[in-house]
Amino acid sequence: MRVLLAIVLMAASCAAQTYSHRGFLENRASFYPQTAANDRARLTGESLFRYEAFLQPSSAFQVAASIDLRLDTHHQVERALKLSWQDRETQRPTAAVRRLSAMYHNGPITLEIGKQFVRWGKTDIVTPTDRFAPRDFLTVVDNDFLPITAARITFEKGPNTVDLVWSPRLTPSRIPLPNQRWVVLPELPAGIQLNIASPSFPGGPQSGVQWNHTGTVEYGISLYQGFNHMPSFEAVTTIGAVYDRAVIDRAYSSTASGQIDVRPFYPKMLMFGGNVAFPLPSFTVKAEAAGFTSSDNRADEFGLYVLQLERQSGEWFFVGGYAGEVVTREGTQSADFAPDRGLSRTFLGRAGYTIDANRSIALEAAARQNGKGTWTKVEYSQAMGQHWRVTLNLTLIRGDIADFLGQYRRNSHALLLLRYSY
Amino acid sequence: MNSGAGGLVLFLILFQQDARQVVEEAQRRTTAQSQRYEGTLEVIDARNKITRKRWQYDRIGSHGSSKAVLRFTAPAEVKGVALLVINHPDQSSDQWMWTPAINRERRIALQDRSTRFFGTDFSFEDLEERDTNQFDYRLLGEEAVDGAVCWKIESEPRQTKVSQYTHSLLWIRKDNYVLSRIENYKKDQLVRSASYSDIRNVQGIWTAHNIEMRDVKRNSRTVLKIERLQYNLPMKGDAFTVQAFRRDS
Repeated sequence: MRVLLAIVLMAASCAAQTYSHRGFLENRASFYPQTAANDRARLTGESLFRYEAFLQPSSAFQVAASIDLRLDTHHQVERALKLSWQDRETQRPTAAVRRLSAMYHNGPITLEIGKQFVRWGKTDIVTPTDRFAPRDFLTVVDNDFLPITAARITFEKGPNTVDLVWSPRLTPSRIPLPNQRWVVLPELPAGIQLNIASPSFPGGPQSGVQWNHTGTVEYGISLYQGFNHMPSFEAVTTIGAVYDRAVIDRAYSSTASGQIDVRPFYPKMLMFGGNVAFPLPSFTVKAEAAGFTSSDNRADEFGLYVLQLERQSGEWFFVGGYAGEVVTREGTQSADFAPDRGLSRTFLGRAGYTIDANRSIALEAAARQNGKGTWTKVEYSQAMGQHWRVTLNLTLIRGDIADFLGQYRRNSHALLLLRYSY
Repeated sequence: MNSGAGGLVLFLILFQQDARQVVEEAQRRTTAQSQRYEGTLEVIDARNKITRKRWQYDRIGSHGSSKAVLRFTAPAEVKGVALLVINHPDQSSDQWMWTPAINRERRIALQDRSTRFFGTDFSFEDLEERDTNQFDYRLLGEEAVDGAVCWKIESEPRQTKVSQYTHSLLWIRKDNYVLSRIENYKKDQLVRSASYSDIRNVQGIWTAHNIEMRDVKRNSRTVLKIERLQYNLPMKGDAFTVQAFRRDS
């Protein structure tokens, strides 16, 4: 809060500044044809109001602020009215600071301090080196990025940039709520209850450095030291984990207390990775790979890689690729919630068609290499006038319950989204 | 026969030289250290449905060694979307597009430059600046456009220039060297044409304030109206980098 106050005071002291703003009011309605074992709701609604403001007292200095206000019908949003800074709540906060940062730029140096978004990497859908980008996964397949509190210095010289990021504390990804359909629990034997304890958040900072080169061939390397923003789970009183059916199955037979207690934790992580993008006559090739190690032996050590091709032709846009994973060490508590790893060993694709200046249609799909899970999304979007946009999105999920995608097979849904931008 | 052929060759060389001189003079007269304008776009589709957009255009340098940033200011949902174009004198430009909603830039590959730019009838390539050294020119004669006598010149990209167009026809006014019309062809087929009108003198530079780009195949057109045009404003080179996208969003 001290950082927040300092930035507000700094902004208030600025005079003769330029001010700009933008934002939207978005209403979304989701319809699920099937109920889930832990969620009987078929129709849910959510409203989001976002306001973004930019204050620029001089060409060297800028303050950016953004706030999100939310309401919903399905208790994914908290009911208590309070302003969230840390984004550590299990539900989405009613009001959250999305961005509040001060940026100073002089010559080759840019410094940004405060709550901000830091995006690394070049590939889409799965981005292994994007380690400062936690997400809201309450609806796993329709997720959104969360900001982090950080200081970021960027040095720029010609086509090269070096990016240094330091974040004083972890912003975790928001994981699905256990009493809702995006957590798929096996049927519990009579008398057994599953209890998820409060997360164990680590203390200490995270830091990273990235070097990027832009040119005909673009490439970069990055190093990250900190914590995984997606949790693993450990047993508190017995063994078990909420997101891993096999581990829970084992827990049933061993529990004597009638309760399985599990606690999310965020293991230490060291990431080293790189990316490259280069054009060929027919396609642009993008590749990204990262290796993940941990001094915490409860966590896996693994590598993720993505190879994708993209092409724009006329009104069409195509992206297709493959995401792979290599596990180099299995942790002692290998149950985790990790959509990036869940989408590995997967073929991924996206095709978009711009019908005209106002209308577009897109198809996205992911298919597991072993054929045990598929996810397909068709989206039609149309702008109306200068402010309105309506989007209809149909998502079909199929597969085996033991598969990361397949487990959500009862969560195929239709989404209607109406947005007023200003 | 030999002297006749030699005369024809000499005539063609002189004509080609004239064409290049005309284009170079047109280019010289529009040279400025920088340029800024606010553009209002009306995209009119085949059914006469109109979509309006606005952008701010900043350019530093001129003709082949310039850098430009085009930033949408309306409609609200695309506010902040930006395109960076770095023009080179001896090769095709580099282009990146910035989408603030996802906080990432995307390089526009050469093979993707024929794509329409953000639902307008301009392709990404049309937003590059032409440099005379990347084209061969041939004077085809004289024609009137909107009552003004123009040189009609054919331009063809050289090997160093990657272009979706096999050749273009340019009409340059004889009275003030202002471009009046461009027709862009793929082989013998007209793909896009641009008409320039509302020509005004701003700080000594004659500039069209109304550009109509027509996509022949789609039968749609985009009218760009230029407002608040200024030349030779002080601008910093570091505002024309990929990194500047992040700073300004």
